[in-house]
Amino acid sequence: MKFRGAEAIVETIEWNGKTVVSKKRNRRGYRHPSLEKKLVVERLRSESRIMERLLSQGISVPAIYSVNLSDNSILMEFIDGLTLERALRKSEFEDYLVKTAEILSTIHSLKIVHGDPTTSNFLVTDRIYAIDFGLSSISDDDEDRASDLRVFLESLDSHHSEINGRDIFLEVYSNWKDANPVLEALKVLELRGRYNLMRG
Amino acid sequence: MNSIILGIESTAHTAGVGIITSEGEILSNQRSVYIPEKGAGIHPREAANHHSENLPKLFKKAFEEANISSDDISLVSYARGPGLGPCLRTGATAARAFAYSNDIPLLGVNHCVAHLEIGLLEGAKDPVLLYLSGANTQVIAYAAGRYRVFGETIDIGIGNGLDKFAREAGMGFPGGPKLEKIAEGDELIDLPYSVKGMDLAFSGLMTAAKQKVDSGYSLPKVAYSVQETAFAMSCEVSERALAHTGKTELVLGGGVACNSRLREMAMIMAKERGVKCFVPERALCVDNGVMIAWLGYQMMNADYEITDKDNVVNQKYRTDMVEVTWR
Repeated sequence: MKFRGAEAIVETIEWNGKTVVSKKRNRRGYRHPSLEKKLVVERLRSESRIMERLLSQGISVPAIYSVNLSDNSILMEFIDGLTLERALRKSEFEDYLVKTAEILSTIHSLKIVHGDPTTSNFLVTDRIYAIDFGLSSISDDDEDRASDLRVFLESLDSHHSEINGRDIFLEVYSNWKDANPVLEALKVLELRGRYNLMRG
Repeated sequence: MNSIILGIESTAHTAGVGIITSEGEILSNQRSVYIPEKGAGIHPREAANHHSENLPKLFKKAFEEANISSDDISLVSYARGPGLGPCLRTGATAARAFAYSNDIPLLGVNHCVAHLEIGLLEGAKDPVLLYLSGANTQVIAYAAGRYRVFGETIDIGIGNGLDKFAREAGMGFPGGPKLEKIAEGDELIDLPYSVKGMDLAFSGLMTAAKQKVDSGYSLPKVAYSVQETAFAMSCEVSERALAHTGKTELVLGGGVACNSRLREMAMIMAKERGVKCFVPERALCVDNGVMIAWLGYQMMNADYEITDKDNVVNQKYRTDMVEVTWR
């Protein structure tokens, strides 16, 4: 497998006798070199630290084997699953949405926001894994959490407009005891951004 | 048959009258831009006054340049939103007056979608549009019957942000092009880089930039860093949208897409990613009547049925509210 993501080349390689995923951030020629360097190092560090933290709490994310700052790469566990984006086209889509809402609320309860939880960033096996923590950060700010929800709902709306996943997802998310202020923040965010229709 | 379409644009600062043939040949693209007083932002009523004063002149010039008469026009198209109410109503009134008095069909269209469709005239088939203007900052692509907004600003539009920063630094309207002119340097001043998924935010960046100027950094250097940061953010979210949708074409649109550095960065990104980048000429990136006419033609060519609701202006007419029946 080799996949060119938005900011990294993700491929499976053989490492110590097993198949692992290498995620290597390649240089962006359009970005100013010092901005590029700053962003790459920041994101690499934050990504590996946050994944370690989630792993230690028993959340389904790929295990990290190695982090290499000299070539901006991370080696991690290979999860052989279907992206949620594809899985949602199956008849079990409701079950997948429920599990995704559970994992995202658990991540939020650990004071972590994913930063880019689109439907491409969850993998479905016998359970659901959250992947790609490249834009994640440590935060217990309800607006940051709401922003996660919005990213997810938006990718749901733009890729899976044929199913009404929003209600299912939000209902399960709201089971988390601290969900209410996040859902309030989501309302505000939606009024301010995409649903603030006053544009010229 | 080769027909001729007239388009009227009046959503914000710009009054525009464009004439295009069904073959995509641009016969005229007349524009007049309302410039607010120095130190002030756009005043909707004054902009509308500007448009009502200038639209008749623009009509006259357009017909002269195209060398046609009103009898040759088969459709009048105008931007019915999104935009500022008084400005929209002025354009709609001009469109109605012209269409009804000459017995020509009239169609109100979506301004943002027009920015995307004019990019298709450049040869793109199914692109991701990076649409950067004053009020709008969106990454748009076609999916399941609509142009969907994959990412956008969660606070202010990039152009309004640049204008505001420029205004506070003592420059007049439009601030973006003025900043581009003075921007110089190669060292980057650290400014907030705010990308959340495929969304962006600019207000923190502009505030920080203002503080840098206040604390003694030279304006050209700050302008350089603002451009580097804001445009890198914009390129990053469009790259994310390309990765997410799997599309292989990028189109630039909106007034900020006139910026040479942005164009350069978008082209580098596209090249590194192996996608095609389409950059319409500047006169078609900014608000203009030609793109409005072209979208109207696309819709009518696909036998779009005009109903009464197509001829009501809508300040909040979002990109994803348009049912795309012509693709």
